[in-house]
Amino acid sequence: MTRRFLVAVCVFLIAAGVVVLLPFQLDGYHEGLAAKVAIFFIAVLGLNILTGYTGQISIGHGAFMAIGGYTTAVMSHYHHTNLLLTLPLAFAISFAFGLIVGIPALRFSGVYLALVTFALAVSVPQFALKFSKFLGGSNGIQTSTTPTHLWLYVVSWTCAGILLLVAWLVLRGRTGRAFRSIRDSEIAAAASGVTLPIYKTLAFGISAAFAGVAGSLFVLATNGFAQPNEFGVFLSLEILVGAAVAGLGSLWGVLIGAIFIALLPTVSSSVPLIGSAHGQDVVFGLIVIAVMLILPTGFAGLLQRLRSLPGIRTVEKEG
Amino acid sequence: MGMKGRVLAAFAGVLVVAAVAATAAFGGHRADPGVTSTSITIGGTFPLTGPASLYKTIPAAEKAYFDYVNDHGGVNGRKINFDILDDGYNPAQTVPLTQQLVEQTKVFAVFGSLGTAPNLSIWGYLNQNKVPQVLIATGDSYWGFSYKKYPWTIGWQPDYPGEGKIYGKYLASTMPTAKIGVLYQNDAFGKNYYAGLRVGLGAKKGNVVSAQSYDPTQTNVTQQILALKAAGADVLVIFAIPTQAITALVTATKVGWTPSATIVGNVSANRLFLLAAAANGANVNGVISTAYTVSSTDPSQANLPGVKLAKAIIGQYAPSLNTSLAQGDGNVIYGLGAAWTFVYALQHAGKNPTRASFMAALKSMHNVVDPFTYPGIKMNTSATDNFPIEQDILMKWAGGASGDWTFFGQLYNGVR
Amino acid sequence: MVEIARRIRIRERRTRNIGGGVSIPVVLFLVAAAIFLLVGSLVSPIFAQQTVAGLAQGAIFASLALSLVLIYRATEVINFAQGEMAMATTYFAYQLTLWHLSYWAAFFLALLTAFVFGAVVQVALIRPVQHSVIAVVIVTVGLFVLIDGLVTWKWGADLKFMPAPFGNQVYHIGSVAFSRQDLGTLLVTIVSVLLLWVLFKFTKLGLAMRAAALRPASAALVGVRVNRMLAIGWGLAAVLGAVAGLMTEPTVFLQPTMMQAVLLYAFAAAVLGGLESPAGAVIGGLALGVFLNLIGQYVGFATSELRLPIAFGVLLIVLLIKPHGLFGRRQVRRV
Repeated sequence: MTRRFLVAVCVFLIAAGVVVLLPFQLDGYHEGLAAKVAIFFIAVLGLNILTGYTGQISIGHGAFMAIGGYTTAVMSHYHHTNLLLTLPLAFAISFAFGLIVGIPALRFSGVYLALVTFALAVSVPQFALKFSKFLGGSNGIQTSTTPTHLWLYVVSWTCAGILLLVAWLVLRGRTGRAFRSIRDSEIAAAASGVTLPIYKTLAFGISAAFAGVAGSLFVLATNGFAQPNEFGVFLSLEILVGAAVAGLGSLWGVLIGAIFIALLPTVSSSVPLIGSAHGQDVVFGLIVIAVMLILPTGFAGLLQRLRSLPGIRTVEKEG
Repeated sequence: MGMKGRVLAAFAGVLVVAAVAATAAFGGHRADPGVTSTSITIGGTFPLTGPASLYKTIPAAEKAYFDYVNDHGGVNGRKINFDILDDGYNPAQTVPLTQQLVEQTKVFAVFGSLGTAPNLSIWGYLNQNKVPQVLIATGDSYWGFSYKKYPWTIGWQPDYPGEGKIYGKYLASTMPTAKIGVLYQNDAFGKNYYAGLRVGLGAKKGNVVSAQSYDPTQTNVTQQILALKAAGADVLVIFAIPTQAITALVTATKVGWTPSATIVGNVSANRLFLLAAAANGANVNGVISTAYTVSSTDPSQANLPGVKLAKAIIGQYAPSLNTSLAQGDGNVIYGLGAAWTFVYALQHAGKNPTRASFMAALKSMHNVVDPFTYPGIKMNTSATDNFPIEQDILMKWAGGASGDWTFFGQLYNGVR
Repeated sequence: MVEIARRIRIRERRTRNIGGGVSIPVVLFLVAAAIFLLVGSLVSPIFAQQTVAGLAQGAIFASLALSLVLIYRATEVINFAQGEMAMATTYFAYQLTLWHLSYWAAFFLALLTAFVFGAVVQVALIRPVQHSVIAVVIVTVGLFVLIDGLVTWKWGADLKFMPAPFGNQVYHIGSVAFSRQDLGTLLVTIVSVLLLWVLFKFTKLGLAMRAAALRPASAALVGVRVNRMLAIGWGLAAVLGAVAGLMTEPTVFLQPTMMQAVLLYAFAAAVLGGLESPAGAVIGGLALGVFLNLIGQYVGFATSELRLPIAFGVLLIVLLIKPHGLFGRRQVRRV
């Protein structure tokens, strides 16, 4: 039991306590916002596993979110499936999809991989337009029941908690070590017996599964309405921004990253700058740039720097 | 539901009982949200940024009209506060913003929200919460036909399928043997227009020799125009948003194709767009479209009360829109017209309007004349008629690169 | 300096197959494709017209792809804001025409401004974070949103129009129409590639830039101002982007979203050609334009919704066979 582990547990318990008590203070609308944080938390967590821990850059997580989101919408619309049941279904389907994507992705690295995933993000919503009779096309597809703010809050945060646990378990064990060794040096990893294809594809699968669940909740937060415009390129870029602000390769900053991208648009739109709506984009862009210039390694990087300040002794464990 | 859920539900239940008891104890009439003795608050979501942002003159014009009304005493002494929110045409934004309007700002009604998909994403929520979703800026027909399931929702403009029908009828009667080529956007907007065209053509729908769709992400539509030309089409029908409509007109001329008639859907028939097409080499004389609003540039309409009022209001309350208005931007008139209708219904909703009385007023209009609509157009709604405007007039372009629309024929009725 | 040039040439050659990252099978394939297009055009007028239209479209993809490639060659990053920077420069040119400058005066003044703009962005925003690929990507994403907001604030989002650069004349060969605008765009793109080639191959500046990109440490040792070369690289890329924007304006007109779709296709074209090859970017762009038009014409299933997925599908297939694009160089991975 290292000191770090105890600190982590304490932080987790405090955070969990806040999450449980918050609904008693918040009204429905703010519960919805808080749920949005949880949704981005899950998505950023997923991306972090892929990009932060195995070093495979993906700018395509919006595509996996779309898969999960449409799974929920379609199952609920046509089969009146219980909304809660669609979540594990979305997880499974997105996982499978991630594995499928991960296989050709083995062939690419660096920028090429980034652009291939970007291509995915751009292309997947187009298929909803192509198969419009089944998937609703530009008019979208609606679930048969819509959740309340409270339901969304409870379910999103519960999923966030569960998936955080899953991520932690995966990353602390052999799989996590394999992931990290791949990120640091693929050749060395292969030389030490890590079967690259299996672990790299697995990382894609897990990451996609997380994004799929986030996508389901995302659609549910949009009143159960799934439509291609919701999964545009910008969504994938937003998740990437969240992961970068969080700090890649560490679980500590994920919440900060999630809060950043979930709440920044709301915050920027209430700044009375340069008149009405354009202020929002300008503020958002400025803040993103500023954060990256000041903290290029994200929040987790900041923590690391603070920890290595003189006077703070730590037992450094990789992670 | 888990334990926490049950506790919360019980707590909520106690609160509800207490509230009902309190209301019963105090009796009296509780006002609807968004209404005070001096003000009425409404809001809507619009694409102020993003791919559809060229429509943002609409809420600006609507606000100008409300400012004008406020300056003249408001409606029954109440000033109208209009919250304009930007959803970027993305339902993932529309939903939380609309929830914010209803639950935070506590608006009386959602007015004028723009876009089919955005409105589809919220109509369940708004109807469930009995919040009026009125005079929304989209030409789809769902709002008109679904009044039984969604009684709190109503549109304003004549719908796209109806407009497409007019073109079909026109072609069937004036050019019964012409071969028709259709360019349409590959979403519900374009598809509904095209479906309307086929209905209007009736027995002549076989005259459509080719129908090419385009994706909004395409930078030009040359490939589709070429395909239509190659199929032997003689009439070109364009159901597109402005950029692609203009490029379609330009490309048709560039590839050496002179159709005997060209039709452009109303959404892209803004005078500015035709002028731009002409400036880029398109042959625009004779292009046909429809209109349902007054024109700010047609000299024969310059003395209409609606045109004069529009110029006065914009000049005073939204001078930044003056240039657009002077060049014939129909979106400005559209905004004024929709806002006028809102105010009309509010005026007829009683001294102390409620959401229910407001909807009743909106749904019982009989031959109401909105000054910003084309002369002769009368708005009618009833318990079974949820389409306020169902009339259109045909117009044809004349005068080339510095010309304008000229209106011809009779008003078409029953446009839905 | 001569010694450096010699060393660079040897090093570049070592990591290539046959001069310029071009391999025989790829060249043969392209020649075969060109012959196919020629024959098809002679046989069917509609095939010819679609090909010509495709080349015109592709020229636009190519010109933006060129700027992406230039940035990648110089600094090994993808600039997501490239399209928006191009768009902003085009709006600036528009403003100049509103201030009564002639189109071509505005054009070249805008190019100059673009150069400064690109260099300033590199120095102020990219240099501080250039050690981290992810950070650079995020900064360019932030820049994307920022520029979009600023342009919409200053000029509004309604459609605006500039005078046509090459006029509206259309020439006809048989039943195939060639517009002056499209020919002009093609010409401008080719001239840009040639100028770039001359710059890199024959000038000292180009040599210094290549050195700075390939071996920054060694280059610095012999007096190449590496940072300055990177800034110049970004400046040049911004100029190319401005050209792309100005050539795109006649087709989609001025609106804040004008370059967004083009950027997507430009990415595909750049990667298709190999991210380090300017010629590859141009050929990739042209090929993509022609391919999309022909597929749209002759394959019924390939309706307009699938245009983007098809473009990227092609990219994926090519990458599976040649992971570094048609003309890309295989990187030797060292432990």
